[in-house]
Amino acid sequence: MKRTTTFSRIGLPLAVVALLVFSLFPVYWMVTTALDPNAVTRGADLLPSGISFKHFRYIFDQGNFGPFLLNSLLVGFGTIVVAGLLALFAAVAVARFRFRFRTSVLILVLIVQMVPLEALVIPLFLQMRDYDLLNSLLGLTVVYIALSLPFAIWTLRGFVATVPKEVEEAAYLDGCSWPRMFWSVLLPLVAPGLVATSVFAFITAWNEFVFAYTFMKDSSQYTAAVGLFQFFGENSTAWGPVMAASTLITLPVLVFFVIVQRRLASGLAAGAVKG
Amino acid sequence: MTARRRRLISTARPWVLLTPALVVLAGLLLWPLVKVVLLSFQDYQVKFGGGVATFTGISHYRELFADPRLWKTVLPNTVVFATACVGLTVALGTLAALLLQRLGPFWRVICSTAIMAAWAMPAVTGTYVWIWLFSPSDGMMSHFAGSLGLIDPDTTNWFTDRLSFFAIATVNVVHHGFPFVAITVLAGLLTIPRELYEAGMIDGANAWQRFWKITVPTIRPIFLVVTILSTIWDFKVFTQIYLMPGGSGSNEDVYNLGVWSYQRAFAQNDYGMGAATAVLLTLLLLAITVVYIRTLFKESDEL
Repeated sequence: MKRTTTFSRIGLPLAVVALLVFSLFPVYWMVTTALDPNAVTRGADLLPSGISFKHFRYIFDQGNFGPFLLNSLLVGFGTIVVAGLLALFAAVAVARFRFRFRTSVLILVLIVQMVPLEALVIPLFLQMRDYDLLNSLLGLTVVYIALSLPFAIWTLRGFVATVPKEVEEAAYLDGCSWPRMFWSVLLPLVAPGLVATSVFAFITAWNEFVFAYTFMKDSSQYTAAVGLFQFFGENSTAWGPVMAASTLITLPVLVFFVIVQRRLASGLAAGAVKG
Repeated sequence: MTARRRRLISTARPWVLLTPALVVLAGLLLWPLVKVVLLSFQDYQVKFGGGVATFTGISHYRELFADPRLWKTVLPNTVVFATACVGLTVALGTLAALLLQRLGPFWRVICSTAIMAAWAMPAVTGTYVWIWLFSPSDGMMSHFAGSLGLIDPDTTNWFTDRLSFFAIATVNVVHHGFPFVAITVLAGLLTIPRELYEAGMIDGANAWQRFWKITVPTIRPIFLVVTILSTIWDFKVFTQIYLMPGGSGSNEDVYNLGVWSYQRAFAQNDYGMGAATAVLLTLLLLAITVVYIRTLFKESDEL
Protein backbone atom coordinates (compact mmCIF):
# COMPACT_ATOMS: atom_id res chain seq x y z
CA MET A 1 0.00 0.00 0.00
CA LYS A 2 2.95 2.34 0.60
CA ARG A 3 3.76 2.45 -3.10
CA THR A 4 0.19 3.48 -3.93
CA THR A 5 0.46 6.41 -1.51
CA THR A 6 3.67 7.69 -3.10
CA PHE A 7 2.05 7.41 -6.49
CA SER A 8 -1.08 9.27 -5.35
CA ARG A 9 0.99 12.07 -3.84
CA ILE A 10 3.40 12.70 -6.73
CA GLY A 11 2.51 10.61 -9.76
CA LEU A 12 -1.18 11.44 -9.87
CA PRO A 13 -0.83 15.25 -9.81
CA LEU A 14 1.96 15.01 -12.40
CA ALA A 15 -0.23 12.88 -14.65
CA VAL A 16 -3.10 15.34 -14.26
CA VAL A 17 -0.85 18.26 -15.21
CA ALA A 18 0.54 16.38 -18.23
CA LEU A 19 -2.97 15.49 -19.42
CA LEU A 20 -4.24 19.06 -18.98
CA VAL A 21 -1.26 20.55 -20.82
CA PHE A 22 -1.42 18.12 -23.76
CA SER A 23 -5.20 18.48 -24.12
CA LEU A 24 -5.58 22.20 -23.63
CA PHE A 25 -2.34 23.76 -24.86
CA PRO A 26 -3.31 23.84 -28.57
CA VAL A 27 -6.70 25.36 -27.68
CA TYR A 28 -5.01 27.89 -25.38
CA TRP A 29 -2.42 28.80 -28.02
CA MET A 30 -5.13 29.20 -30.69
CA VAL A 31 -7.31 31.52 -28.57
CA THR A 32 -4.44 33.60 -27.16
CA THR A 33 -2.86 34.04 -30.61
CA ALA A 34 -6.23 35.16 -31.93
CA LEU A 35 -6.41 37.79 -29.19
CA ASP A 36 -2.73 38.84 -29.29
CA PRO A 37 -2.36 42.06 -31.32
CA ASN A 38 1.27 41.13 -32.10
CA ALA A 39 0.58 37.48 -32.87
CA VAL A 40 3.49 36.74 -35.20
CA THR A 41 6.26 38.21 -33.06
CA ARG A 42 4.96 36.38 -30.01
CA GLY A 43 7.59 33.64 -30.16
CA ALA A 44 7.47 31.38 -27.14
CA ASP A 45 5.81 33.87 -24.77
CA LEU A 46 3.20 31.97 -22.82
CA LEU A 47 1.05 35.06 -22.21
CA PRO A 48 -0.23 37.18 -25.09
CA SER A 49 1.30 40.67 -25.31
CA GLY A 50 -2.16 42.20 -24.96
CA ILE A 51 -5.83 41.57 -25.66
CA SER A 52 -7.43 42.94 -28.80
CA PHE A 53 -10.12 41.92 -31.23
CA LYS A 54 -8.36 43.36 -34.25
CA HIS A 55 -7.79 39.94 -35.87
CA PHE A 56 -11.48 39.13 -35.53
CA ARG A 57 -12.40 42.46 -37.08
CA TYR A 58 -9.87 41.81 -39.86
CA ILE A 59 -11.30 38.42 -40.88
CA PHE A 60 -14.79 39.89 -41.21
CA ASP A 61 -13.78 43.18 -42.87
CA GLN A 62 -11.05 41.96 -45.21
CA GLY A 63 -11.26 38.17 -44.99
CA ASN A 64 -14.90 37.89 -46.05
CA PHE A 65 -15.44 35.38 -43.29
CA GLY A 66 -19.08 36.25 -42.54
CA PRO A 67 -20.48 34.70 -45.75
CA PHE A 68 -18.32 31.59 -45.21
CA LEU A 69 -19.81 31.09 -41.76
CA LEU A 70 -23.29 31.66 -43.18
CA ASN A 71 -22.68 29.02 -45.89
CA SER A 72 -21.55 26.55 -43.23
CA LEU A 73 -24.68 27.27 -41.19
CA LEU A 74 -26.97 26.79 -44.20
CA VAL A 75 -25.34 23.51 -45.19
CA GLY A 76 -25.38 22.32 -41.58
CA PHE A 77 -29.07 23.07 -41.02
CA GLY A 78 -30.05 21.57 -44.37
CA THR A 79 -28.17 18.43 -43.39
CA ILE A 80 -29.76 18.00 -39.96
CA VAL A 81 -33.34 18.55 -41.13
CA VAL A 82 -33.23 16.01 -43.95
CA ALA A 83 -30.80 13.53 -42.40
CA GLY A 84 -32.71 13.59 -39.09
CA LEU A 85 -36.01 12.85 -40.77
CA LEU A 86 -34.69 10.08 -43.05
CA ALA A 87 -32.72 8.52 -40.20
CA LEU A 88 -35.77 8.55 -37.91
CA PHE A 89 -37.89 6.71 -40.50
CA ALA A 90 -35.15 4.15 -41.06
CA ALA A 91 -34.50 3.75 -37.34
CA VAL A 92 -38.20 3.06 -36.66
CA ALA A 93 -38.18 0.47 -39.43
CA VAL A 94 -35.22 -1.48 -38.07
CA ALA A 95 -36.07 -1.09 -34.39
CA ARG A 96 -39.84 -1.71 -34.56
CA PHE A 97 -40.37 -4.25 -37.30
CA ARG A 98 -39.07 -7.76 -37.84
CA PHE A 99 -38.76 -8.27 -41.57
CA ARG A 100 -36.68 -10.19 -44.09
CA PHE A 101 -33.26 -8.67 -44.86
CA ARG A 102 -33.38 -6.59 -41.66
CA THR A 103 -29.93 -7.78 -40.63
CA SER A 104 -28.67 -7.24 -44.18
CA VAL A 105 -29.84 -3.63 -44.03
CA LEU A 106 -28.06 -3.11 -40.71
CA ILE A 107 -24.82 -4.60 -42.04
CA LEU A 108 -25.09 -2.45 -45.15
CA VAL A 109 -25.42 0.66 -42.97
CA LEU A 110 -22.37 -0.42 -40.98
CA ILE A 111 -20.29 -1.07 -44.10
CA VAL A 112 -21.04 2.21 -45.86
CA GLN A 113 -19.88 3.96 -42.71
CA MET A 114 -16.38 2.58 -43.33
CA VAL A 115 -16.10 3.69 -46.95
CA PRO A 116 -13.16 6.11 -47.22
CA LEU A 117 -14.25 9.57 -48.32
CA GLU A 118 -11.09 9.87 -50.40
CA ALA A 119 -12.44 7.08 -52.62
CA LEU A 120 -15.84 8.73 -52.99
CA VAL A 121 -14.59 12.21 -53.72
CA ILE A 122 -13.49 11.38 -57.29
CA PRO A 123 -16.73 9.79 -58.58
CA LEU A 124 -18.91 12.24 -56.62
CA PHE A 125 -16.98 15.17 -58.07
CA LEU A 126 -17.59 13.87 -61.62
CA GLN A 127 -21.24 13.12 -60.80
CA MET A 128 -21.81 16.57 -59.33
CA ARG A 129 -20.13 18.15 -62.33
CA ASP A 130 -22.41 16.25 -64.71
CA TYR A 131 -25.49 17.39 -62.79
CA ASP A 132 -24.13 20.94 -62.56
CA LEU A 133 -24.06 20.77 -58.77
CA LEU A 134 -20.48 21.93 -58.22
CA ASN A 135 -20.26 25.27 -56.44
CA SER A 136 -23.72 24.59 -55.12
CA LEU A 137 -24.60 24.52 -51.44
CA LEU A 138 -27.41 22.13 -52.33
CA GLY A 139 -25.00 19.61 -53.87
CA LEU A 140 -22.75 19.77 -50.83
CA THR A 141 -25.71 19.38 -48.46
CA VAL A 142 -26.88 16.26 -50.30
CA VAL A 143 -23.44 14.68 -49.83
CA TYR A 144 -23.39 15.58 -46.11
CA ILE A 145 -26.84 14.05 -45.66
CA ALA A 146 -25.48 10.77 -47.01
CA LEU A 147 -22.35 11.01 -44.85
CA SER A 148 -24.26 11.55 -41.62
CA LEU A 149 -27.06 9.04 -42.28
CA PRO A 150 -25.34 5.77 -41.22
CA PHE A 151 -24.33 7.10 -37.81
CA ALA A 152 -27.70 8.81 -37.33
CA ILE A 153 -29.62 5.61 -38.15
CA TRP A 154 -27.39 3.59 -35.87
CA THR A 155 -27.84 5.98 -32.92
CA LEU A 156 -31.55 6.65 -33.35
CA ARG A 157 -32.22 2.93 -33.59
CA GLY A 158 -31.09 2.68 -29.96
CA PHE A 159 -33.37 5.53 -28.89
CA VAL A 160 -36.42 4.12 -30.68
CA ALA A 161 -35.79 0.71 -29.12
CA THR A 162 -36.00 2.22 -25.61
CA VAL A 163 -39.56 3.49 -26.16
CA PRO A 164 -41.79 0.80 -24.62
CA LYS A 165 -44.02 -1.01 -27.11
CA GLU A 166 -46.92 -0.64 -24.63
CA VAL A 167 -47.03 3.11 -25.28
CA GLU A 168 -47.69 2.47 -28.95
CA GLU A 169 -50.20 -0.28 -28.24
CA ALA A 170 -52.12 2.00 -25.91
CA ALA A 171 -52.27 4.60 -28.67
CA TYR A 172 -53.60 2.02 -31.11
CA LEU A 173 -56.31 0.98 -28.65
CA ASP A 174 -57.34 4.62 -28.40
CA GLY A 175 -57.91 4.52 -32.14
CA CYS A 176 -54.73 6.25 -33.25
CA SER A 177 -53.78 5.68 -36.88
CA TRP A 178 -50.19 4.64 -37.60
CA PRO A 179 -48.98 7.98 -39.01
CA ARG A 180 -50.70 9.82 -36.18
CA MET A 181 -49.00 7.54 -33.65
CA PHE A 182 -45.68 8.25 -35.32
CA TRP A 183 -45.97 12.02 -35.05
CA SER A 184 -47.76 12.49 -31.74
CA VAL A 185 -46.51 9.53 -29.67
CA LEU A 186 -43.18 8.28 -30.97
CA LEU A 187 -41.63 11.57 -32.12
CA PRO A 188 -41.87 13.38 -28.76
CA LEU A 189 -40.44 10.34 -26.97
CA VAL A 190 -37.36 10.05 -29.19
CA ALA A 191 -36.86 13.84 -29.33
CA PRO A 192 -33.71 13.74 -27.13
CA GLY A 193 -32.14 11.20 -29.47
CA LEU A 194 -33.14 13.27 -32.46
CA VAL A 195 -31.48 16.33 -30.92
CA ALA A 196 -28.27 14.38 -30.25
CA THR A 197 -28.06 12.93 -33.77
CA SER A 198 -28.88 16.32 -35.29
CA VAL A 199 -26.02 17.95 -33.47
CA PHE A 200 -23.65 15.22 -34.61
CA ALA A 201 -24.86 15.59 -38.18
CA PHE A 202 -24.39 19.34 -37.87
CA ILE A 203 -20.81 18.90 -36.64
CA THR A 204 -20.06 16.49 -39.51
CA ALA A 205 -21.16 19.14 -41.99
CA TRP A 206 -19.53 21.98 -40.04
CA ASN A 207 -16.10 20.29 -39.85
CA GLU A 208 -15.96 18.62 -43.25
CA PHE A 209 -13.13 19.74 -45.47
CA VAL A 210 -12.41 17.34 -48.38
CA PHE A 211 -15.72 17.60 -50.23
CA ALA A 212 -16.21 21.29 -49.53
CA TYR A 213 -12.69 22.01 -50.75
CA THR A 214 -13.11 19.93 -53.92
CA PHE A 215 -16.63 20.98 -54.89
CA MET A 216 -16.58 24.68 -54.03
CA LYS A 217 -14.29 26.46 -56.45
CA ASP A 218 -16.11 29.79 -56.40
CA SER A 219 -15.10 31.69 -53.27
CA SER A 220 -18.66 32.95 -52.70
CA GLN A 221 -19.66 29.34 -51.99
CA TYR A 222 -16.83 28.47 -49.56
CA THR A 223 -17.73 26.99 -46.20
CA ALA A 224 -15.82 28.24 -43.16
CA ALA A 225 -13.33 25.33 -43.19
CA VAL A 226 -12.44 26.02 -46.84
CA GLY A 227 -12.50 29.79 -46.41
CA LEU A 228 -9.88 29.31 -43.74
CA PHE A 229 -7.68 27.32 -46.12
CA GLN A 230 -7.76 29.99 -48.81
CA PHE A 231 -7.04 32.60 -46.19
CA PHE A 232 -4.01 30.69 -44.99
CA GLY A 233 -2.64 30.18 -48.51
CA GLU A 234 -2.71 33.86 -49.33
CA ASN A 235 -1.00 35.17 -46.20
CA SER A 236 1.03 32.31 -44.88
CA THR A 237 2.35 34.35 -41.97
CA ALA A 238 -0.91 36.05 -40.89
CA TRP A 239 -1.31 33.75 -37.91
CA GLY A 240 -3.45 36.19 -35.93
CA PRO A 241 -6.35 36.19 -38.42
CA VAL A 242 -5.98 32.44 -39.12
CA MET A 243 -6.20 31.66 -35.40
CA ALA A 244 -9.12 34.10 -34.96
CA ALA A 245 -11.05 32.30 -37.71
CA SER A 246 -10.05 28.90 -36.28
CA THR A 247 -11.37 29.99 -32.88
CA LEU A 248 -14.73 30.93 -34.40
CA ILE A 249 -14.99 27.54 -36.12
CA THR A 250 -13.96 25.59 -33.02
CA LEU A 251 -16.00 27.44 -30.39
CA PRO A 252 -19.50 26.11 -31.24
CA VAL A 253 -18.25 22.51 -31.34
CA LEU A 254 -16.36 22.95 -28.09
CA VAL A 255 -19.39 24.34 -26.26
CA PHE A 256 -21.49 21.41 -27.49
CA PHE A 257 -18.97 18.76 -26.45
CA VAL A 258 -18.63 20.18 -22.98
CA ILE A 259 -22.42 20.31 -22.55
CA VAL A 260 -23.05 16.73 -23.67
CA GLN A 261 -19.97 15.09 -22.19
CA ARG A 262 -21.82 12.92 -19.69
CA ARG A 263 -24.38 11.61 -22.16
CA LEU A 264 -21.67 11.06 -24.74
CA ALA A 265 -19.73 8.79 -22.41
CA SER A 266 -22.60 6.45 -21.61
CA GLY A 267 -23.76 6.44 -25.22
CA LEU A 268 -20.31 5.50 -26.50
CA ALA A 269 -19.94 2.69 -24.01
CA ALA A 270 -23.33 1.25 -24.93
CA GLY A 271 -22.49 1.58 -28.61
CA ALA A 272 -19.11 -0.07 -28.22
CA VAL A 273 -20.44 -3.06 -26.32
CA LYS A 274 -23.72 -3.57 -28.15
CA GLY A 275 -22.51 -2.49 -31.57
CA MET B 1 -59.78 -4.95 -45.02
CA THR B 2 -58.99 -8.47 -46.10
CA ALA B 3 -56.35 -10.47 -44.23
CA ARG B 4 -54.24 -10.57 -47.38
CA ARG B 5 -54.25 -6.84 -47.77
CA ARG B 6 -53.43 -6.31 -44.12
CA ARG B 7 -50.44 -8.64 -44.44
CA LEU B 8 -49.25 -6.79 -47.50
CA ILE B 9 -49.40 -3.47 -45.66
CA SER B 10 -47.46 -4.79 -42.69
CA THR B 11 -44.78 -6.22 -44.97
CA ALA B 12 -44.52 -2.98 -46.92
CA ARG B 13 -44.47 -0.66 -43.92
CA PRO B 14 -40.80 -1.05 -42.87
CA TRP B 15 -39.71 -0.79 -46.50
CA VAL B 16 -41.68 2.41 -47.03
CA LEU B 17 -39.87 3.86 -44.01
CA LEU B 18 -36.48 2.59 -45.14
CA THR B 19 -36.66 3.55 -48.81
CA PRO B 20 -35.69 7.25 -48.56
CA ALA B 21 -32.59 6.53 -46.48
CA LEU B 22 -31.57 3.56 -48.62
CA VAL B 23 -31.98 5.58 -51.83
CA VAL B 24 -29.68 8.29 -50.47
CA LEU B 25 -27.09 5.76 -49.25
CA ALA B 26 -27.20 3.83 -52.51
CA GLY B 27 -27.00 6.90 -54.72
CA LEU B 28 -24.32 8.81 -52.84
CA LEU B 29 -22.21 6.16 -51.14
CA LEU B 30 -22.66 2.79 -52.86
CA TRP B 31 -22.99 3.90 -56.48
CA PRO B 32 -19.91 6.16 -56.29
CA LEU B 33 -18.05 3.22 -54.80
CA VAL B 34 -18.99 1.15 -57.86
CA LYS B 35 -18.07 4.11 -60.06
CA VAL B 36 -14.62 4.47 -58.55
CA VAL B 37 -13.91 0.81 -59.30
CA LEU B 38 -15.14 1.27 -62.89
CA LEU B 39 -13.08 4.45 -63.23
CA SER B 40 -9.96 2.62 -62.14
CA PHE B 41 -10.26 0.49 -65.30
CA GLN B 42 -10.75 3.51 -67.54
CA ASP B 43 -9.05 6.59 -68.89
CA TYR B 44 -11.30 9.53 -68.23
CA GLN B 45 -10.94 12.64 -70.36
CA VAL B 46 -12.80 15.82 -69.56
CA LYS B 47 -14.53 17.15 -72.67
CA PHE B 48 -16.99 20.02 -73.07
CA GLY B 49 -19.89 19.51 -70.71
CA GLY B 50 -18.97 15.98 -69.68
CA GLY B 51 -16.41 13.23 -69.66
CA VAL B 52 -15.37 10.53 -72.08
CA ALA B 53 -14.23 7.23 -70.63
CA THR B 54 -12.08 4.69 -72.48
CA PHE B 55 -11.69 1.19 -71.11
CA THR B 56 -8.03 0.44 -70.40
CA GLY B 57 -8.22 -2.81 -68.46
CA ILE B 58 -5.82 -3.30 -65.59
CA SER B 59 -3.21 -0.89 -66.93
CA HIS B 60 -3.69 1.57 -64.05
CA TYR B 61 -3.16 -1.17 -61.51
CA ARG B 62 -0.11 -2.40 -63.37
CA GLU B 63 1.30 1.11 -63.31
CA LEU B 64 0.35 1.58 -59.67
CA PHE B 65 2.09 -1.59 -58.52
CA ALA B 66 5.11 -1.03 -60.75
CA ASP B 67 5.69 2.45 -59.32
CA PRO B 68 8.56 2.31 -56.79
CA ARG B 69 6.97 5.29 -55.01
CA LEU B 70 4.13 3.00 -53.88
CA TRP B 71 6.51 0.56 -52.17
CA LYS B 72 9.18 3.01 -51.01
CA THR B 73 7.10 5.99 -49.94
CA VAL B 74 3.32 5.77 -50.03
CA LEU B 75 2.59 2.38 -48.47
CA PRO B 76 5.24 2.68 -45.74
CA ASN B 77 3.99 6.20 -44.96
CA THR B 78 0.38 4.99 -44.77
CA VAL B 79 1.02 1.84 -42.74
CA VAL B 80 3.76 3.03 -40.38
CA PHE B 81 1.99 6.33 -39.72
CA ALA B 82 -1.36 4.63 -39.08
CA THR B 83 0.24 2.01 -36.83
CA ALA B 84 2.07 4.65 -34.79
CA CYS B 85 -1.10 6.73 -34.48
CA VAL B 86 -3.27 3.79 -33.43
CA GLY B 87 -0.72 2.51 -30.91
CA LEU B 88 -0.22 5.93 -29.32
CA THR B 89 -3.92 6.84 -29.44
CA VAL B 90 -5.03 3.65 -27.69
CA ALA B 91 -2.16 3.71 -25.16
CA LEU B 92 -2.65 7.37 -24.28
CA GLY B 93 -6.45 7.06 -24.28
CA THR B 94 -6.26 4.09 -21.93
CA LEU B 95 -3.81 5.87 -19.60
CA ALA B 96 -6.11 8.89 -19.54
CA ALA B 97 -9.10 6.65 -18.75
CA LEU B 98 -7.22 4.93 -15.89
CA LEU B 99 -6.26 8.35 -14.57
CA LEU B 100 -9.83 9.67 -14.77
CA GLN B 101 -11.04 6.58 -12.92
CA ARG B 102 -8.70 7.28 -10.00
CA LEU B 103 -9.60 10.95 -9.66
CA GLY B 104 -12.17 12.45 -7.33
CA PRO B 105 -15.31 14.01 -8.82
CA PHE B 106 -13.87 17.55 -9.00
CA TRP B 107 -10.67 16.72 -10.87
CA ARG B 108 -12.46 14.18 -13.00
CA VAL B 109 -14.77 16.90 -14.34
CA ILE B 110 -11.80 19.25 -14.95
CA CYS B 111 -9.80 16.58 -16.79
CA SER B 112 -12.66 15.19 -18.84
CA THR B 113 -13.62 18.73 -19.89
CA ALA B 114 -10.03 19.28 -21.06
CA ILE B 115 -10.19 16.02 -23.01
CA MET B 116 -13.46 17.14 -24.59
CA ALA B 117 -11.78 20.36 -25.69
CA ALA B 118 -9.09 18.37 -27.50
CA TRP B 119 -11.77 16.28 -29.15
CA ALA B 120 -13.86 19.26 -30.19
CA MET B 121 -11.13 20.85 -32.27
CA PRO B 122 -12.07 20.24 -35.91
CA ALA B 123 -9.36 18.53 -37.99
CA VAL B 124 -8.86 21.68 -40.05
CA THR B 125 -8.37 24.15 -37.20
CA GLY B 126 -6.48 21.61 -35.09
CA THR B 127 -4.03 21.10 -37.94
CA TYR B 128 -3.48 24.84 -38.31
CA VAL B 129 -2.67 25.16 -34.63
CA TRP B 130 0.00 22.43 -34.86
CA ILE B 131 1.43 24.02 -38.01
CA TRP B 132 1.56 27.33 -36.18
CA LEU B 133 3.24 25.78 -33.13
CA PHE B 134 5.95 24.16 -35.27
CA SER B 135 6.17 26.81 -37.97
CA PRO B 136 9.80 27.62 -38.90
CA SER B 137 11.39 30.68 -37.26
CA ASP B 138 8.26 32.20 -35.66
CA GLY B 139 6.47 29.13 -34.25
CA MET B 140 6.40 28.58 -30.48
CA MET B 141 8.11 25.16 -30.63
CA SER B 142 10.81 26.45 -33.00
CA HIS B 143 11.50 29.34 -30.62
CA PHE B 144 11.56 27.03 -27.65
CA ALA B 145 13.88 24.48 -29.27
CA GLY B 146 16.04 27.34 -30.54
CA SER B 147 16.43 28.89 -27.10
CA LEU B 148 17.52 25.51 -25.76
CA GLY B 149 20.14 25.40 -28.50
CA LEU B 150 18.65 22.28 -30.08
CA ILE B 151 18.00 23.84 -33.49
CA ASP B 152 18.63 27.03 -35.36
CA PRO B 153 15.08 28.33 -35.73
CA ASP B 154 15.91 30.33 -38.84
CA THR B 155 17.23 27.39 -40.86
CA THR B 156 15.25 24.46 -39.45
CA ASN B 157 12.04 23.54 -41.23
CA TRP B 158 10.34 20.63 -39.46
CA PHE B 159 7.97 20.11 -42.37
CA THR B 160 10.48 19.32 -45.11
CA ASP B 161 11.87 16.24 -43.40
CA ARG B 162 9.73 13.11 -43.75
CA LEU B 163 10.27 11.92 -40.18
CA SER B 164 9.60 15.20 -38.40
CA PHE B 165 6.66 15.92 -40.76
CA PHE B 166 5.00 12.68 -39.72
CA ALA B 167 5.97 13.18 -36.08
CA ILE B 168 3.97 16.43 -36.07
CA ALA B 169 1.12 14.77 -37.97
CA THR B 170 1.12 11.96 -35.39
CA VAL B 171 0.90 14.39 -32.47
CA ASN B 172 -1.98 16.11 -34.27
CA VAL B 173 -3.89 12.89 -34.97
CA VAL B 174 -3.28 11.46 -31.49
CA HIS B 175 -4.39 14.73 -29.85
CA HIS B 176 -7.63 14.60 -31.84
CA GLY B 177 -8.16 10.84 -31.44
CA PHE B 178 -7.25 9.90 -27.87
CA PRO B 179 -10.34 11.52 -26.27
CA PHE B 180 -12.66 9.03 -27.99
CA VAL B 181 -10.59 6.14 -26.62
CA ALA B 182 -10.32 7.72 -23.15
CA ILE B 183 -14.05 8.37 -22.77
CA THR B 184 -15.07 4.98 -24.17
CA VAL B 185 -12.57 3.01 -22.08
CA LEU B 186 -13.52 5.00 -18.96
CA ALA B 187 -17.18 4.13 -19.49
CA GLY B 188 -16.09 0.49 -19.70
CA LEU B 189 -13.87 0.73 -16.61
CA LEU B 190 -16.78 2.04 -14.57
CA THR B 191 -18.75 -1.14 -15.29
CA ILE B 192 -16.08 -3.43 -13.77
CA PRO B 193 -17.18 -4.53 -10.28
CA ARG B 194 -14.85 -3.31 -7.51
CA GLU B 195 -14.91 -6.78 -5.94
CA LEU B 196 -12.79 -8.12 -8.80
CA TYR B 197 -9.97 -5.70 -7.90
CA GLU B 198 -10.34 -6.36 -4.18
CA ALA B 199 -10.05 -10.08 -4.85
CA GLY B 200 -6.97 -9.40 -6.97
CA MET B 201 -5.38 -7.33 -4.17
CA ILE B 202 -6.01 -10.10 -1.65
CA ASP B 203 -4.32 -12.54 -4.02
CA GLY B 204 -1.32 -10.19 -4.03
CA ALA B 205 -1.59 -8.92 -7.62
CA ASN B 206 0.22 -5.63 -8.21
CA ALA B 207 -1.24 -2.78 -10.28
CA TRP B 208 0.37 -4.03 -13.51
CA GLN B 209 -0.96 -7.58 -13.00
CA ARG B 210 -4.41 -6.29 -12.03
CA PHE B 211 -4.53 -4.27 -15.27
CA TRP B 212 -3.58 -7.19 -17.54
CA LYS B 213 -5.40 -9.95 -15.64
CA ILE B 214 -8.62 -8.13 -14.67
CA THR B 215 -9.15 -4.87 -16.58
CA VAL B 216 -8.11 -5.95 -20.07
CA PRO B 217 -10.01 -9.27 -20.23
CA THR B 218 -13.17 -7.76 -18.70
CA ILE B 219 -13.51 -4.90 -21.18
CA ARG B 220 -11.86 -6.67 -24.11
CA PRO B 221 -14.73 -5.84 -26.51
CA ILE B 222 -14.24 -2.12 -25.84
CA PHE B 223 -10.51 -2.34 -26.52
CA LEU B 224 -11.19 -4.24 -29.73
CA VAL B 225 -13.69 -1.70 -30.99
CA VAL B 226 -11.62 1.39 -30.19
CA THR B 227 -8.53 -0.20 -31.77
CA ILE B 228 -10.31 -1.21 -34.96
CA LEU B 229 -12.12 2.12 -35.31
CA SER B 230 -8.88 4.04 -34.75
CA THR B 231 -7.18 1.85 -37.35
CA ILE B 232 -9.88 2.64 -39.92
CA TRP B 233 -9.67 6.37 -39.17
CA ASP B 234 -5.89 6.56 -39.18
CA PHE B 235 -5.42 4.70 -42.47
CA LYS B 236 -7.49 7.32 -44.26
CA VAL B 237 -6.10 10.46 -42.61
CA PHE B 238 -6.29 13.10 -45.30
CA THR B 239 -7.03 16.61 -44.07
CA GLN B 240 -4.21 16.63 -41.52
CA ILE B 241 -1.57 15.62 -44.10
CA TYR B 242 -2.96 17.65 -47.00
CA LEU B 243 -3.05 20.92 -45.07
CA MET B 244 0.48 20.68 -43.66
CA PRO B 245 3.20 22.50 -45.62
CA GLY B 246 4.23 20.24 -48.51
CA GLY B 247 1.36 17.84 -47.83
CA SER B 248 -0.73 18.95 -50.78
CA GLY B 249 1.75 17.67 -53.33
CA SER B 250 4.96 19.68 -53.28
CA ASN B 251 6.74 17.14 -51.09
CA GLU B 252 6.46 13.62 -52.52
CA ASP B 253 8.12 12.14 -49.43
CA VAL B 254 4.99 12.67 -47.35
CA TYR B 255 2.31 11.18 -49.61
CA ASN B 256 -0.01 8.64 -48.07
CA LEU B 257 -2.57 6.67 -50.09
CA GLY B 258 -5.37 9.18 -49.64
CA VAL B 259 -3.28 12.21 -50.56
CA TRP B 260 -1.64 10.43 -53.50
CA SER B 261 -5.02 9.41 -54.90
CA TYR B 262 -6.40 12.92 -54.50
CA GLN B 263 -3.27 14.47 -55.99
CA ARG B 264 -3.45 12.27 -59.10
CA ALA B 265 -7.15 12.85 -59.68
CA PHE B 266 -7.40 16.57 -59.05
CA ALA B 267 -3.93 18.06 -59.55
CA GLN B 268 -2.87 15.89 -62.48
CA ASN B 269 -6.42 15.31 -63.84
CA ASP B 270 -5.64 11.59 -63.99
CA TYR B 271 -8.92 10.30 -62.60
CA GLY B 272 -8.16 6.69 -63.60
CA MET B 273 -4.91 6.51 -61.61
CA GLY B 274 -6.51 8.41 -58.73
CA ALA B 275 -9.37 5.91 -58.73
CA ALA B 276 -7.00 2.90 -58.79
CA THR B 277 -5.11 4.32 -55.80
CA ALA B 278 -8.41 4.98 -54.02
CA VAL B 279 -9.53 1.40 -54.70
CA LEU B 280 -6.33 0.10 -53.10
CA LEU B 281 -7.04 2.22 -50.00
CA THR B 282 -10.64 0.99 -49.95
CA LEU B 283 -9.55 -2.65 -50.15
CA LEU B 284 -7.20 -2.11 -47.21
CA LEU B 285 -10.03 -0.57 -45.19
CA LEU B 286 -12.45 -3.27 -46.28
CA ALA B 287 -10.13 -5.92 -44.85
CA ILE B 288 -10.12 -4.03 -41.53
CA THR B 289 -13.91 -3.57 -41.67
CA VAL B 290 -14.44 -7.31 -42.10
CA VAL B 291 -12.47 -7.86 -38.89
CA TYR B 292 -14.58 -5.13 -37.20
CA ILE B 293 -17.92 -6.65 -38.22
CA ARG B 294 -16.88 -10.19 -37.30
CA THR B 295 -15.78 -8.93 -33.89
CA LEU B 296 -19.07 -7.12 -33.35
CA PHE B 297 -21.08 -10.16 -34.31
CA LYS B 298 -19.06 -12.37 -32.04
CA GLU B 299 -19.50 -10.02 -29.10
CA SER B 300 -23.22 -9.37 -29.41
CA ASP B 301 -25.82 -12.04 -30.01
CA GLU B 302 -28.49 -9.74 -31.30
CA LEU B 303 -27.81 -6.93 -33.71
